[in-house]
Amino acid sequence: MITEHVMTDEHNHGTHDTPGSWNGAAEPFKASYGKLMMWYFLLSDAFTFAGFLISYGALRLSMPSWPLPDFVFSTLPGGITHAPLIFVTIMTFVLILSSVTMVRAVQEGHRGNQSGVVKWMFFTIVGGLIFLGCQAWEWTTLIKGESMTVWTNPFGRHIEDGVYLEGDGHDIKAGQAFTVGAPYLIHYHDGHYNQLKYKNSAGEVKEQAFGPKAFGALFFFITGFHGFHVFSGVVFLLIIMLNAMTGLYQNRGNHYEMVEKIGLYWHFVDLVWVFVFLVFYLL
Amino acid sequence: MLNYEESKKVVFKGLILLAVVTLIEVAIALIGNGHIIEGMHWPKWLMYPLMISLSLYKAYFIVYEFMHMRYEVRGLSLSVLMPTVLLVWGLIAFANEGMHWNTSRAQIKEKNAIGLKSDGQSSKSSSEIHSSEVPATEAPATH
Amino acid sequence: MAALTHLEEEKLIKEQGYNDHFYDHHHGDKHQMGFITKYIFCQDHKIIAKQFLITGIIWAIIGAAMSVIFRLQLGFPEADMAWLRPFLGKWIVVNDDGIGSLDPNFYYALVTMHGTIIVFFVLTAGLSGTFSNLLIPLQIGARDMASGFLNMLSYWFFFLSSVIMLASLVLSTGPFSGGWTAYPPLSALPQASQGSGTGMTLWLISLTFFVVSVLLGGVNYITTILNLRTKGMSMWRMPLTIWAFLITAIIGLLSFPVLVAGFLLLMFDRGMGTSFYLSEIFIGGQALDNVGGSPVLFQHLFWFLGHPEVYIIILPAMGLVSEILSVHSRKPIFGYKAMVFSMLAIAFLSFIVWAHHMFMAGVNPFISNFFVLFTLIIAVPSAVKVFNWIATLYGGNVRFNSASLFAIGFVSMFISGGLTGIFLGNSTIDIQQHDTYFVVAHFHIVMGIAAFFGMFAGIYNWFPKMYGRFMNETLGQIHFWGTLIGAYLIFGPMHYIGLAGVPRRYFRFDSFETFKQFDALNQFITVCAIIVFALQILFVVNFFYSIWKGKKVTSKNPWESNTLEWTTPIKPGHGNWEGNIPTVNRWPYDYGKDGVDFIPQIKPLAEGEQHSELHQ
Repeated sequence: MITEHVMTDEHNHGTHDTPGSWNGAAEPFKASYGKLMMWYFLLSDAFTFAGFLISYGALRLSMPSWPLPDFVFSTLPGGITHAPLIFVTIMTFVLILSSVTMVRAVQEGHRGNQSGVVKWMFFTIVGGLIFLGCQAWEWTTLIKGESMTVWTNPFGRHIEDGVYLEGDGHDIKAGQAFTVGAPYLIHYHDGHYNQLKYKNSAGEVKEQAFGPKAFGALFFFITGFHGFHVFSGVVFLLIIMLNAMTGLYQNRGNHYEMVEKIGLYWHFVDLVWVFVFLVFYLL
Repeated sequence: MLNYEESKKVVFKGLILLAVVTLIEVAIALIGNGHIIEGMHWPKWLMYPLMISLSLYKAYFIVYEFMHMRYEVRGLSLSVLMPTVLLVWGLIAFANEGMHWNTSRAQIKEKNAIGLKSDGQSSKSSSEIHSSEVPATEAPATH
Repeated sequence: MAALTHLEEEKLIKEQGYNDHFYDHHHGDKHQMGFITKYIFCQDHKIIAKQFLITGIIWAIIGAAMSVIFRLQLGFPEADMAWLRPFLGKWIVVNDDGIGSLDPNFYYALVTMHGTIIVFFVLTAGLSGTFSNLLIPLQIGARDMASGFLNMLSYWFFFLSSVIMLASLVLSTGPFSGGWTAYPPLSALPQASQGSGTGMTLWLISLTFFVVSVLLGGVNYITTILNLRTKGMSMWRMPLTIWAFLITAIIGLLSFPVLVAGFLLLMFDRGMGTSFYLSEIFIGGQALDNVGGSPVLFQHLFWFLGHPEVYIIILPAMGLVSEILSVHSRKPIFGYKAMVFSMLAIAFLSFIVWAHHMFMAGVNPFISNFFVLFTLIIAVPSAVKVFNWIATLYGGNVRFNSASLFAIGFVSMFISGGLTGIFLGNSTIDIQQHDTYFVVAHFHIVMGIAAFFGMFAGIYNWFPKMYGRFMNETLGQIHFWGTLIGAYLIFGPMHYIGLAGVPRRYFRFDSFETFKQFDALNQFITVCAIIVFALQILFVVNFFYSIWKGKKVTSKNPWESNTLEWTTPIKPGHGNWEGNIPTVNRWPYDYGKDGVDFIPQIKPLAEGEQHSELHQ
């Protein structure tokens, strides 16, 4: 690389170039076209996700109430409930870990260490698969266990103070009082949703209302779209790992650039998760 | 550019940093919503900016260290990062629109309720609720 | 100092150019032998450009023919349309007296398809796709695009999208008919109208593939321009065409994904029964249980693309026109850097003004104020550009040929259409003008006709580079004057009837007492539209005739132009330059400098000569 630069400088010695003008036949961004393309693809993909998340924001703000995330996401495998946000924190750790192993794979690639690349890519794939497994479990719990679908959202929040007139056999007992903003889950029994009756402070008897439909649909849609990115990332990682094993990239002699490119993609998936995690689980 | 040993260190520092920041975020969510200390609730204006800025910090770290943006040419990082500024106005406009749908829906509901009532007997309540919006409350009466 | 002779030019490239060892690996055109690899699945940017252009021309004929049919309906609603039965089949309803009339459902389908086809297939793919592909490698001094394979895929995704859209035209329920903007609920509920079922599904699939094509093209154009410029071709030495294509590609890369986001949500509303865009809808007195969405959300997502899309259409035309005006007036472009910065400003502003399409859709009036403000600011960079084009022409030794005439026509159209844009950008005036023929006239002039003029100028100017022959100049001039006058005669009166409140998208006006008085005007518009359509057919004939029978180009540089594409052989093969790649020593607009008519970019500075770009 260095000798190349010296040569181009010498070559241009005779011509009258304006100061600072680029002298061609080199890469002004010091990056190959493939890497640049990956960056710009990720930029445009970021705008797709931004479109989704901004739509999420608009729909959420257009609703009088929105489900409380640490109430909705509070189950763990093994029948543990009331463990708010623990499972998703584990999922996030898995994704961060797989990002870290990916960085290691890229670093080994820069050193030209074939076995190192393969090893760390393998760990990355495992991380991706665990994340996908976690997501599958989370979806199953929401759909099967709590009966949330893209059409119906049983997670609501009270918009007034009141007292329950009946219990649901889970957490709510008849006579229990609640305040504005208290979250609730409408349980699904024997083919129908059991909306509990309550009396508000004005003395009117009402039923628990369903939460905003958009919550379920947006959750499944946006995490699904992210999950699809993780899945395709795993597929690409697998292909590239196999190629690396055959020594294909070693022979190309470009410091495992393909690994670097898929690395960018993988970190991007992690990056998107930062924001999905923020808007769905934290805010 | 860092050498191999240095960059290896950066990676594991990064792992710890991201993990800690994530834990802090979750802790804010749990403490602020009263899961750790019974009855303790932090106001949203405190929690939201904190969690949003921590997430932005995580994003910054992933892009700058893991995706190696720090070591790229300035032109490349500018060409990728500058366009995201366009999203700021999008965010403001969409959020504002969302809140507008919320209030206008509530207004329509209120007006419908008033309209139904004034068709019946109690016209008193309508003037109480919406004395400022005379045309809206009078419209059903003229029909 | 004098202009270069061809021999001097070749000597320069040989001595000063650099050898990228291209011909050590490839053997020029010889490695692309078969018909299939050469003309069908071709990775050469020049062939891909022609593929885009010819597909675009076919779509333009279809789209324009549709407009003639619905103009006939509007101008002569009582006329017998039975003669169209061979083309439109059951959409022409023939009554007992044998008088055929257009099915109102199909009228809406025609309007919708006309918009979709012209906006996306002709003025995006046909214009930016053609000229970005043709000119980027040639004008920056590259052998080909950064990735020839992705470039080929870009065309074939466009082709796939075309085929799907074409298939939707012949559905028994007709193509989508809810307007090219595809607002829900007409687009979200398959039962909403005839075209909302399968027609809309195909529309969505087709446009999703189209977006893939645009994105593949876009990343390619950007990386090629950034990474593959020849030695000496700094950013400030690029022709304005290249700047325009670069900025266009960036806009497309950032805005189309948001449209995809909107489309995916729409697909879920259609297929899965979600309620992102639907709320409180009644069909046949029955309330649907879709609650909580907002149709305005789709409009926001759509116009977040839709407005930048307008600039995706007009910017390449602006780039082509800047180059052509400079070449044919034998003067440097006036205010080169101002041109670049105003394009950048337009690109930035295009992303923050989208809701000015939606003032009447129930957007918060408070936020509308900002959208009005930003919209009106666009007038500033646009005016800078117009001023610079006129200043370039001023005092020039203008060669009035088809290319330069169309470029001048572009400026004229851009001014006329831009002025009415200032009216419509005001939310208060928009209350009156929204959805009238005033809007139709405005956007047809400023982005329809203007962009077509830019495209025609480009085709007439670069036809010699594409096919090694000239287009017929007499036919070209007839085409120009007829189209210019015809376009003003069509859209001028539309402003008038629009101001009078005549709404767009109506099937017929003769049943409205208020609008009857404009019957004669509507007939006049229709007649003009038919004449202009005939002139475009003349252009197509000229185009295809000239490919095989046109006057042959005898010199490498027929327009005496400075840019690099005219240093290639008359019919460049794969790899564009036969030997070395030329290096660049100056900016592309040294026309009339120090008394020399033109100095190509490859010529080194003379002793004591100053760089022209330093004074910009």
